[in-house]
Amino acid sequence: MPEIDLSLHVNGRKVTRRVDPGARLLDFLRDDLNLTGTKEGCGAGECGTCSVFVDGKLVKSCLMPAAKAQGTEIETVEGLARPGELEAIQKAFHKTGASQCGYCIPGMVMAATSVLREAPEASMEEIKERMGGNICRCTGYSKIIEAVALARDVVTGRATPDALEPERVGDSFIGSNVRRLDAPSKVTGRLKYAGDMVMPDMLHMAVLRSPHAHAEIVSIDTSEAEAMDGVACAITASDVPGTDGFGVFVHDQPIMARGKVRHVGEAVAAVAAENEVTARKALAKIRVEYRELPGLYDPEDALADSAPVIHDYAPDNVVKHIPLRKGDIDKGFAEAHLILEDEFATQQVEHAYLEPEAGLAYVDADDVVTVISPSQNITHHRHMLSEIIAKPINKVRFIMSPVGGGFGGKEDMIYQGMLALAAMKTYRPVRLVFTREESIIASAKRHPSRVRYRMGLTNDGRITAIKFEMLSDGGAYGMSSEGVMRKAAILSCGPYEVDNIQVDTRVVYTNNTPSGAFRTFGGMQAQFATESMMDIAAERLGLDPFEIRRINMMRAGSLTHTQQELKSASIDRVLAEAEKASRWEAGPAGMRGPERGDLGGPGTRAPCTLGARFESKAEKKGRVA
Amino acid sequence: MLSCERYEMPETLAEALALWTGAPEGAQLVAGMTDILPWAREGRAGDVELPLAIDLSRVAELNGYERHGSRLRLGANVVWQDFLDDPQLAAWLPVMPYCSVWFADDQIRQQATLAGNLVNASPAADGTPPVIALNGEVELCRLANGQLMSRTVRVEDFVTGPGKTTLAPGEIMCSVTVDCAEGYGASFQKVGQRRSLVISVACLAALVKLDASGNRYEDVRLAVGGVGPVPERLRDIEDRLRGEAPDMALIAELAEATADRVGSRSRIDYRRRVVPGFVRAALEEATDRARSARGAAAKKETVNA
Repeated sequence: MPEIDLSLHVNGRKVTRRVDPGARLLDFLRDDLNLTGTKEGCGAGECGTCSVFVDGKLVKSCLMPAAKAQGTEIETVEGLARPGELEAIQKAFHKTGASQCGYCIPGMVMAATSVLREAPEASMEEIKERMGGNICRCTGYSKIIEAVALARDVVTGRATPDALEPERVGDSFIGSNVRRLDAPSKVTGRLKYAGDMVMPDMLHMAVLRSPHAHAEIVSIDTSEAEAMDGVACAITASDVPGTDGFGVFVHDQPIMARGKVRHVGEAVAAVAAENEVTARKALAKIRVEYRELPGLYDPEDALADSAPVIHDYAPDNVVKHIPLRKGDIDKGFAEAHLILEDEFATQQVEHAYLEPEAGLAYVDADDVVTVISPSQNITHHRHMLSEIIAKPINKVRFIMSPVGGGFGGKEDMIYQGMLALAAMKTYRPVRLVFTREESIIASAKRHPSRVRYRMGLTNDGRITAIKFEMLSDGGAYGMSSEGVMRKAAILSCGPYEVDNIQVDTRVVYTNNTPSGAFRTFGGMQAQFATESMMDIAAERLGLDPFEIRRINMMRAGSLTHTQQELKSASIDRVLAEAEKASRWEAGPAGMRGPERGDLGGPGTRAPCTLGARFESKAEKKGRVA
Repeated sequence: MLSCERYEMPETLAEALALWTGAPEGAQLVAGMTDILPWAREGRAGDVELPLAIDLSRVAELNGYERHGSRLRLGANVVWQDFLDDPQLAAWLPVMPYCSVWFADDQIRQQATLAGNLVNASPAADGTPPVIALNGEVELCRLANGQLMSRTVRVEDFVTGPGKTTLAPGEIMCSVTVDCAEGYGASFQKVGQRRSLVISVACLAALVKLDASGNRYEDVRLAVGGVGPVPERLRDIEDRLRGEAPDMALIAELAEATADRVGSRSRIDYRRRVVPGFVRAALEEATDRARSARGAAAKKETVNA
């Protein structure tokens, strides 16, 4: 491999190394210098987890070849403060609770540092604009922006350094602003996520993924890949020693495709090699012969009589059906003055946590197969892996690394099994770090769902009956689908007491990307339908949208949809607060005419504009004049 | 993933041209690299192996800018952030800060060059409409029998289609020369799916100059991007408005007719609605800014007097 001599200063120290001329500055910092505070979230300049200063200018190190940094001065998050200390901006992040999963935080701290250096007087709007190249998925940005403003005030002398100190906690922690214990490790970039970890003699894994949605695997030939210099092993489903299959409810998913592929992006084979480049090159040498099968891409089609079968154990393609019955809907609809019918559809959504999936596995001196990964469910994974690799549970260990955002998307064991197999085959540590594209193509998504809704109401706004039918696209594997359908059924008709309901939630197999756990776990899809119906009903009956909800809301003593008697209910207070906070103009939807008076008040987000820095320059000029 | 056999950083134009002239098949000229690295990924070009990358960012002759009369020569190494951070550039090219602030983000603007944006020739490029509006020309240099040769091409003629230009083998874009537009009011309109790091669905650059009375347009420049294979000057509107008083009814009428300019192959209905709105909004905003620029200049004179 060709190499070039690179000489530059990093965090004030001279560094000289021979590097691959194609290496990015990001790779050089992380792999050659172990400065893993600089993260890779996307590799395409979109997310800002890799922001560093080059000759005083903040750049995205995934978009800069290391060679371009020849002779420059680099400053990374590790160089901001002296070891064990925090800069004002880092203290501010700690103070406001700006770090949650922490994966975006080193980049955010760097971007914030750039704001304070370039525009120390920046307004809130200008701070937001200048931080626009960095993405966070946990905080909603409020706490981050608050931290930058706090640090700005301290740095410019508008606030004293005391403002960065923790707030005093009185008699109770409840109601106090308590700082997060893990924040210092995150704001300094010290915290090691799985993709940051290295072990001596470690191999790097790359995964060959299916280009087909549904196809039989006729043959896989890995011999050419295995013969390559630098390749330690190749693995396929045939290397699995035990009973293959994982899943949160039904163990329908092999750790790599077995016999056939069921979605585009499914793992088919994997290679462990001395470095990532070799592993990727080896993938191109694996020969897979597929025979394409008819696929299912719409959940309605999956229920058709002649539909292709995706899993032999489920000839009807149904993963789970959750029926819920309460009262008598025929009686309820007979009592109704108004019956509304509608359909609601929601789309597939990717979690887009900033930390792509990553893991590191090794076999320890006592033959314990150990997997380190940001798994959201290590105990279950451990039990499943023990069956898959046919080892007793005391020879399987899972270590949960810091999770750089999960939101439900890291509940499924979609890669840990491959790492374990490769470690067992080589007796060397093996690491796999997904690319962003791989994460999007291979990880579970929020269930796309359709709800067919029928609601009966009396003229005074009381719901007499609901018929609720949800059909969800589970994709190729079961994953968390069953639980999601249960939750969707339990929450289906919302926080309203309805005497007569008939709820059916169904999830089916298709050849789409698998659906799994995602924040709200089925609740969002159901509530989108129910709350939309409530608004439609309010409009049709000439009622205020808050009023129709108060008429139907659950109270202490109400029976839920699953017929549990509630001892208390808080929706009345929630509605009161929401009405107050939104400065709601009371009345039915039609009474206002084209204009309403409750829009655009304080706290309303301004439309999306850019150019705050021009305005603040004008202000500054104004002040001088 | 991008891999390079060789990565060269010449420091003079002669070295760069010599490397480029003798470059192996598949070699690339690179500047900011902010487009090529995301391009070499799964779903786009995939794994790309370059036998040679010639990085122009340290070629001394391509640095900086200089004014010649009413024209401004921008070296090919001028990066997008310069239009925001350099008050001299902002004064001479009042449309560029508004365009730049919508281009990628503060970090990518530190690397990405205006010349690179032109040479990539994306139909959605943010840089082309303002440069066309400023009668931009590019200087293309090459070696012929050891001699440095250069030619100048109008940007309107240089970009011939999506990703297509008249750049010939062995040529390097050395500079972009544009009109100085001091005293013009400017506006840049852009729509995409988010605020930072967004590729335009459509964009439009406008510059207007008011006459001595401040009541009539002395000059109007309009150029639109993202709505056809190449960016376009809207000369019919410019000609119609020159000499006219700023009249919102007239502007609205002229704007309405621009929907028919949309020649894109996708999202046509959407773009047909966007473009007239852009023309109207950009002319209104640029006119307001031209007025306040005049106001500020007058105030300054009063103060100086």
